[in-house]
Amino acid sequence: MAPESSIQRCRAWYARLLRLYPAKYRDRFGEGMEQTFADLCRERRATGRRLAGFVVWTFAETFVAIVTQHVTRIMRGTMTQDSTRFLKTVRTSALAISALMVAGILTLMILARGKDEDITGIVAPALLITILSGVVAVVASVLRKRAQQRGAAH
Amino acid sequence: MAKNTHAPLTPAVLHILLALATEERHGYGIMKQVESDSQGKVTMGPGTLYGSLGRMLEAGLIRESDKRVDPEMDDERRIYYGISALGRTTLTAELERYREVLAVARKSRVVRGRFAYGS
Repeated sequence: MAPESSIQRCRAWYARLLRLYPAKYRDRFGEGMEQTFADLCRERRATGRRLAGFVVWTFAETFVAIVTQHVTRIMRGTMTQDSTRFLKTVRTSALAISALMVAGILTLMILARGKDEDITGIVAPALLITILSGVVAVVASVLRKRAQQRGAAH
Repeated sequence: MAKNTHAPLTPAVLHILLALATEERHGYGIMKQVESDSQGKVTMGPGTLYGSLGRMLEAGLIRESDKRVDPEMDDERRIYYGISALGRTTLTAELERYREVLAVARKSRVVRGRFAYGS
């Protein structure tokens, strides 16, 4: 069973994730979201269920909600400093993923050189992830630049 | 019969309105009530719940109530949410729409008898 200290640690990490929300949204719902997350963790502890899977799922679910919030703001044209910071994080993460994938593919190709191994099954999905990450990085960069130009114009 | 002018609600919004129809609840309380009402069929994480609450507040379907301690939980103060008059009207209209759809389905013998989750 997860001790209270584990729940508090997870809550602190969750609070860090919530910082990616637009400031206005975070000020209004951040505290409630944190409390709800801690309540759900305690409920799982009380019923003897594992915490790890739930924490990963909640972090992923909340991250999707954060992206949705920012996209909504971009669509409404109310993008602010928070959104440009968020887009910078997305761009950096996407570039890091791309770089890791390229490094992985190159390593695999070097290791497989001279051997009669078929690495297509691993390289193809890795290449796809690299391309997708690259596209995400480009889109995030373009949106960020537009936001900065809009911010400078106002 | 008055024509229903309300747009269909998303499952999350419908369940949140249902959960708040009986009493004011905080975030965790809403989640638990939704889970209980839907017999565990509808589960939402904090991201989905608060995203929906934000949109519902903006649309005037719900209102933020005071911050208070839940006597059944720890001593942290929590924000409570309650249904507004518009929210109640919207919920009634949506349930009426469901009733009409069900009546049509029964009439065309698509479903028979009681209709419940999982049946």
